[in-house]
Amino acid sequence: MSDQQPAADELHFTRVFAAPRELVFRCMIDPEHLSRFWGPAGVSAPIERIRVDARAGGLFETVMVNDADGSEYPTRAIYLEVVEPERLVWRETHSGMTISATFTDLGDARTEVRIHQTNVPETYRSPEAQVGFLSSLDRFSGYLDYLGRRSEG
Amino acid sequence: MNVNSPPLTEDQLNATFAALADPTRRAIVARLARGDATVNELASPFEMTLPAISKHLKVLEHSGLISRTRRAQFRPCHLERPVLDSAVSWIDKSRRVWTERFDKLADHLSDVRFDPAKD
Repeated sequence: MSDQQPAADELHFTRVFAAPRELVFRCMIDPEHLSRFWGPAGVSAPIERIRVDARAGGLFETVMVNDADGSEYPTRAIYLEVVEPERLVWRETHSGMTISATFTDLGDARTEVRIHQTNVPETYRSPEAQVGFLSSLDRFSGYLDYLGRRSEG
Repeated sequence: MNVNSPPLTEDQLNATFAALADPTRRAIVARLARGDATVNELASPFEMTLPAISKHLKVLEHSGLISRTRRAQFRPCHLERPVLDSAVSWIDKSRRVWTERFDKLADHLSDVRFDPAKD
């Protein structure tokens, strides 16, 4: 795995698309585009239930519908940063999760999108708290693995 | 990591990570990973009063990371390992969602590019 994984509560995810940066960025804020891909496999995101107000402080709402049983998963987020076509940051109000997407023009109509998703409540996000918290959570998870191996072996 | 861990709701995940953000509570969880323990046993390594420890235990219990039996007088604490594993596997679930989402986006982009009218 080439992506960095600093802690159990953070996700870094990178993907390169064969499309120009402006278009890839538009896909992330335009309901017509979003409804085509926002739901993961087996999950739809009906266009009429997507709301996007792409500016700092604006709303970003979706409802994902499970194709198999019709169960619904509504999400509600507030945009923190909208810098077209470079960067999008939104915070899910139902989960407290913050997600940033950074769009890099690689030339030849290729675009790299980097996703950084954090699940740590805002309170622990000050730079000082972050250093201590993330490194200790990392160590902690390693320590638990060690205990687990010891009790199994 | 246990792949059969039950999925946690977003609220549970937040409660779990918030509970693990405190060093005393991490120490308690680490101690319970070695086996069940009573409040007195858990308090002994810390320079803390029993009520202070109890407060931490309540947070852990609320997050679902530990459980306490209701009947026994000393109410030993028990680590709910599947909850801990689920919290750790959050990263895998999120990665899967973004992978599947971006697979669809790549398909969608190639549709759009071959048919600019759709854009």
